[in-house]
Amino acid sequence: MKTNSQARHWLIGAALTVAVSGGVAHAGTYDLAIEKLGVDYAGKAREALSINGQIPGPLLRFKEGEDVTINVTNKLDTDTSLHWHGLLVPYTQDGVPGMSFPGIKPGETFTYRFTTKQSGTYWYHSHSEMQEQEGVYGPLVIDPAGREPFRFDREYIVMLSDWTDEKPMRIMSNLKKQSDYYNYSQRTVGSFFKDAAEKGWGATIRDRLDWGDMRMTPTDISDVTGYTFLLNGRKAEDNWTALFKPGERVRLRIINGSAMTYFDLRIPGLKMTVVQADGNAVQPVPVDELRIAVAETYDVIVWPKEERAYTIFAESLDRTGYARGTLAPRDGMAAEVPALRPRPLLTMADMGGMHEGMDHGAMPGMETGKSAAGGSAMPGMDHSAMGHGSPPAAGTQGMDHSAMGHGAVPGSQAAAPSTGMQGMDHSAMGHGSMPGMEGSAMKSGIAPAAANGGKVLVYGDLRAMKRYADYRAPDREIELRLTGNMERYFWSFDDKKYSEAEPIRMRLGERVRIKFVNTTMMSHPMHLHGMWMQLDVGKKEFNPLKHVVNVAPGETLYVDVPVDAPGEWAFHCHLMFHMSAGMFRKVIVEQRTADARIEAIR
Amino acid sequence: MAGATRNLRHAFTATLAAAWLAAGSAALADAGHKHGGAIGEPGVKANATRTVAITIRDNFYEPETIEVKKGETIRFVLKNTSELLHEFNIGTAAMHAEHQKEMAAMAEHGMITATGINHEMMKMDHSKMGMPAMTHDDPNSVLIEPGKTAELVWKFTKDTTLEFACNLPGHYEAGMVGQFRFRK
Repeated sequence: MKTNSQARHWLIGAALTVAVSGGVAHAGTYDLAIEKLGVDYAGKAREALSINGQIPGPLLRFKEGEDVTINVTNKLDTDTSLHWHGLLVPYTQDGVPGMSFPGIKPGETFTYRFTTKQSGTYWYHSHSEMQEQEGVYGPLVIDPAGREPFRFDREYIVMLSDWTDEKPMRIMSNLKKQSDYYNYSQRTVGSFFKDAAEKGWGATIRDRLDWGDMRMTPTDISDVTGYTFLLNGRKAEDNWTALFKPGERVRLRIINGSAMTYFDLRIPGLKMTVVQADGNAVQPVPVDELRIAVAETYDVIVWPKEERAYTIFAESLDRTGYARGTLAPRDGMAAEVPALRPRPLLTMADMGGMHEGMDHGAMPGMETGKSAAGGSAMPGMDHSAMGHGSPPAAGTQGMDHSAMGHGAVPGSQAAAPSTGMQGMDHSAMGHGSMPGMEGSAMKSGIAPAAANGGKVLVYGDLRAMKRYADYRAPDREIELRLTGNMERYFWSFDDKKYSEAEPIRMRLGERVRIKFVNTTMMSHPMHLHGMWMQLDVGKKEFNPLKHVVNVAPGETLYVDVPVDAPGEWAFHCHLMFHMSAGMFRKVIVEQRTADARIEAIR
Repeated sequence: MAGATRNLRHAFTATLAAAWLAAGSAALADAGHKHGGAIGEPGVKANATRTVAITIRDNFYEPETIEVKKGETIRFVLKNTSELLHEFNIGTAAMHAEHQKEMAAMAEHGMITATGINHEMMKMDHSKMGMPAMTHDDPNSVLIEPGKTAELVWKFTKDTTLEFACNLPGHYEAGMVGQFRFRK
């Protein structure tokens, strides 16, 4: 009988090793260097950035309770940094320039020191400029002190990422100059209704349709296209392969280390049992497919019983490509690689359910006289073009959905990112009647659906394995609206970008509920540094702890934050170009004593 | 709200009933519930030669291997020290695979949840709906709620490949299975 501590882990391919020195048990010293690396992923020689000359960077593997020392040397000619994503560390060790520390100057070595107090699968990446897109990312695993609530015979890291031959700074300036540069456009619901209120429905719709050279379709899901998708740094045709013996349970540590890509991952022929999400054990959930947002992690157990190869297939959300690897009993095998599914079409549901009750037939100037619930039912109608145009005027608060009297906003109160209803146990959610949700035809165009018609993982399936001891009602609630202005490629919270906004202040010891309201038509993976977000899926003490929560188009999601870490913490959308454009906040956690309020030391 | 969900579940159950009948429910009932002597038989407590205490954790048993002798009657005392509902089921891997389907159906019906048994639902007379009995009362298995202790007495009549396992959705896949080792 094998225990986890004896489980072998075979990592095929490039050596993912770390130089370890330091002889004391439970105290390791790791040496990393950020340096340039010549690559060729898409047929052209390019200069990437790397950690220790490899992409992904070397696996950092710690033990729970270990005193870790990491020396990071900057061999670039610009500042750099490394952030340990999902790790609970003192804020000065968190690696965010301008918040945790000044950053690492060219030629300098910065030494991180912290004691690990958790276990699971995580990752690390640069928090400087756009280095994360250029290759500065790697996997991080912390082995538990005790036994994990699942068993496996061997394990592999499956790190998904995206590579572009274009320099990220160039991509950013393209997006800012011409928002639809990459055939993409997203608008907020608020501006559409503002215009409609002023000019009437027909005029507003015609206005949208009249945009010259829009190159917009409801299939435009991503800001940036032209990516090559990698699995453990390999292109699909390189066929990264992991070996197994039939009958073994294999643990896959799936990490989305990309800058901008959501992946829908499945292994045709193999069911995956999800056992961890964002490093935390969850009650096991067998699924056929899962969607992994940028920066999330999922650990799954697969149990291949046959003497054959299986394809690990991770399609990008916009279906422009895929990352791919193989699980096989022997080297040199490959299984069938599925064809890409058709690109999804955004629907009315992605506009936050605002169209419930709207009679499209009454609009003057419309060729079709029919009303429709779904965008695709209206020929010639480009629904992604709706609601989009001039940004909300300064001072406009945006839409207050609850005041509009239309009841259900898909996913609100339910904390499930997919507004598709399959798999959701509504009775368990503890919310009252939700008009429009029962047997509703209103379904997001990008709701995840299993390719084989089986089960796709949704947030509603995630339950913590361990009961949360300090579960209680929140002390207060903060609302954070996810907003954006596509014309200037300006992404923000509450219509304010980072440089214009006040930090969010919290007090050590309080429990703060954050209400995310997504007024845009994009999904945003929201990441809080230094503290857990307890995602409200209606399971109270069994609500899962996450470091990234995905908020789908038009969705409202609630998390409770146990504020237990003093200092300054970054809080941002993990879509790298959105973060750079301003979708970022600083959270200041203050310690309050009887005498005085001590601010976090800068 | 509770009433509404029960109605929803009953409606679902009725629909499932049709599906189950079509699938040959009688065969399903037999396959799952009458194993004959192939894996042994229910034992008589008075004849038990020894008691084996098993601690149930999330998601594994302690111990994970139990030595048995052909002909032996063992009294298993199962203590669930974990957060979740678990099962202790004696059978072959094939039997467990079948039972996992039944447990998945029970979970979907709301008869069992991750942390407990819905005792009301369990007592429901499913035969009135034209469904096979969907209780969990096979002699070779027992459900143990968190914090509780249960007993199962079994006579091992054949020297064969046997496992003890938990068939709640996802648990077997996550490794919640142990081996019986027959010694001479």
